[in-house]
Amino acid sequence: MLHLENVHVNFNTGSASEVRALRGIDLTVASTEFVTVIGANGAGKSTLFNVIAGTVTPDNGQITLDEQTITHAPEYQRAAHIGRVFQNPTSGTCAGLTISENLALALRRGKRRGLRPAITRADREHFRERLQAMNMGLESRLDTDVAFLSGGQRQALTLLMATLTQPKLLLLDEHTAALDPNAAAQVLELTVRIAREAQLTVIMITHSMQQAVEIGTCVVMMNRGKILFQTSGQERDQLTVEDLIARFRALRSADDELSDRTLLA
Amino acid sequence: MTSNNRAPHARRYFAALKAHTFLVRLGVLAFFVGGLMSLSNVNIGAIGQGLALALVGVGVYISFRVLNFPDLSVDGSFPIGGAVAAALIAGGTPAEGTLPAALIAGALVGLTTALIHITFKIEGLLASIIVMTGAYTFTLRIMGTSNIPLLNVRTILTPYEAPMREFVTATFGDALRRQANNLVEILIFGVVVAIVLVVLNAFMHTEIGLALRASGKNSQMVRAVGIHDRMMIILGLMLSNGLAALAGALTVQQLGFADVQMGVGIIVRGLAAVMIGEVLLRPKNIGQALWSAVFGMIIFEVARAWVFSALNLNATDVRLVSALVVLLALAVPNVLNRLRLWQRSRAHAAP
Repeated sequence: MLHLENVHVNFNTGSASEVRALRGIDLTVASTEFVTVIGANGAGKSTLFNVIAGTVTPDNGQITLDEQTITHAPEYQRAAHIGRVFQNPTSGTCAGLTISENLALALRRGKRRGLRPAITRADREHFRERLQAMNMGLESRLDTDVAFLSGGQRQALTLLMATLTQPKLLLLDEHTAALDPNAAAQVLELTVRIAREAQLTVIMITHSMQQAVEIGTCVVMMNRGKILFQTSGQERDQLTVEDLIARFRALRSADDELSDRTLLA
Repeated sequence: MTSNNRAPHARRYFAALKAHTFLVRLGVLAFFVGGLMSLSNVNIGAIGQGLALALVGVGVYISFRVLNFPDLSVDGSFPIGGAVAAALIAGGTPAEGTLPAALIAGALVGLTTALIHITFKIEGLLASIIVMTGAYTFTLRIMGTSNIPLLNVRTILTPYEAPMREFVTATFGDALRRQANNLVEILIFGVVVAIVLVVLNAFMHTEIGLALRASGKNSQMVRAVGIHDRMMIILGLMLSNGLAALAGALTVQQLGFADVQMGVGIIVRGLAAVMIGEVLLRPKNIGQALWSAVFGMIIFEVARAWVFSALNLNATDVRLVSALVVLLALAVPNVLNRLRLWQRSRAHAAP
C-alpha cells in the first residue's frame, strides 16, 4: 500500500542550522493496517507525515502509494487519497463556514470542482446521517459556524471530513493530544470504530505508549529521524508498555552512541 | 407544559426575525440616509455615484475579506477599466460592449498580481504595489492622453435619459426635471450592480465558490481536502480586480470623462465602504456581506456629499475623508477594547 524507500529530509541545507529531520526512512504499511508511531519530540514523526502528505518534498528517496509514485506530487493532488487530522483542532476545519459547508468541501475530495451547487439537499441528508452515526450531537447543527464547536467536536468533524470519501490512507497527527481527557477518549474511540468499519489504512502519531500498545496492529518507533523498530503480528500483540520502554531505551542509546562515535571519528 | 408547547412557536418566530434582521437594518438605514438627504441639500446624484463605485467595494471585500489578501492593485484596475471604456466609446464601440471589455482588462491586472505573488513568492502587498505602479503606464497608453471627455457620445445612460425626462415631467412636473439624469444613473447602475451581485452570490454557493471562500480562511485545511489553493488566489484576484475595473467603466460614463488620475486612493474608498457596511449592517453570510459592501459605498458617497457641502470642502478632499473613515473603523474597536480592559482592571482594584 504505502511504501517509503530511503527517504531523507533536510531543513536549512548548507547553513549552520541544518536539520536532518529524516535520515533514510524505509517504511511499508500494508492495506487496512493501523500503525501507531511513537518517538520523542524531534524524532521526525510530524516530518514523516508532512513528507507522506506532500507538505514537504524529500531531498532523497521515493514514496509510493498504491503502486503510484507520489514523491513529488503536490499536496492538493495527494489529498485525493490521503485524509488528515491535525493536532490542533482549529487546523482541520474552516472557521467562518458552517458544518455542512465544511463537509461539502471534504465531499469533493479528489473530484473536479465545478459550478454545481456546493451543497444539495441529498448532501445534507447524507451529512446528517454520518454525523448522527458519530453520536456527538452535531446532526442538528448543520448550519452552525464551526467556530462555535468545542475542540472535541471539531476534531470529530475533522475525522469525519478526512474519512468521508474513503481515503486510501488516513494520517492522524496526535489528534487527541489537545483535547481534555473525556473528549480525547471519545474521539479516540470514534477513530478506532471508523477505521474498523471502513477498513481504512491508518497511521497515527501518539505520545502515549499506552495508546500505541492498545490500539492498532503495528507499532513504529522513531528516533532522530530514523525508524528504530517496527513490529506487527503476534510480536506486536504481546507487546507491553514496559517492553516498549525497555526496547526504546536500549535501541536509542545504541543509536545515539553510534552517531556520537561517527561524529568523533 | 404550556411553555413547552409555546417554545417551538417562539423559536420559529425568533428564527424568522433573525433571518429578516438584515432587511430590517437595511430599512432603518435607508430611512436615515433618506432623511439626511431630504433635510440637507444632498443631491440624489450621490446615490448614483455610490452605485457606480459599489463594485469596487465588492471587489475589495473579495480580496481583503474572502481571500485574506491585501491587494492594492485595485488602484490600477479601476482606472484601467475606465480607460478601456472611455477609449472604446470614443472610438465608436457601443457603450454596453465596454463593460465586459473592462471586466476582462481588470481580470488581467488581478492575474498579474496573483502570478507575481505565486511565482516569485513576493508578498501580496508588495506584489500588488508593483502591479499598481506599472498599471498607471498602461492606463495612460490605453487612453493615449491624460483625459478623455465623453460629452457628446452615447454612453449606457444616454438612451434612457430622454424617456426618463419625459416620464418625470409628466408625473411630477417641472420641479423634478433636473433630477431625471440622476434617476437614470440610479436605475441603470442599480440594475448592473444587482445583476452582478445575484450572479456573484450564486457563484459563491457553487463548489468552486465554496472552495474560494474556504481558501482565505484556512489554507492548510483547504489543501488537505484537495483544493489547489494557489488557483483560488488567481481566481479571487481576477474576480475582484475585474469588478473594480467594471466600476471604473461605469464611473467614467457617469462622470462624462476618464482621467488617468481617477484611480488614486480608490482602494481606501473600497475599504471604507466594506467597513461601513460591516459596522452598520452586520452581515451574517456571504450574500449579505456582498450587499453590505454595495450599501456601504452608497452610504459613504451620501455622507461624503453631505460633509463636503456642510464644510464647504473641495471634491479633491475625498482622499483624506476616506482615509479617516478607514482609520476610524480600525481604531475604534481597538480603543473600545482597551477601555473595557481598563474598566475591568479598575473594577478589580476597587475594594
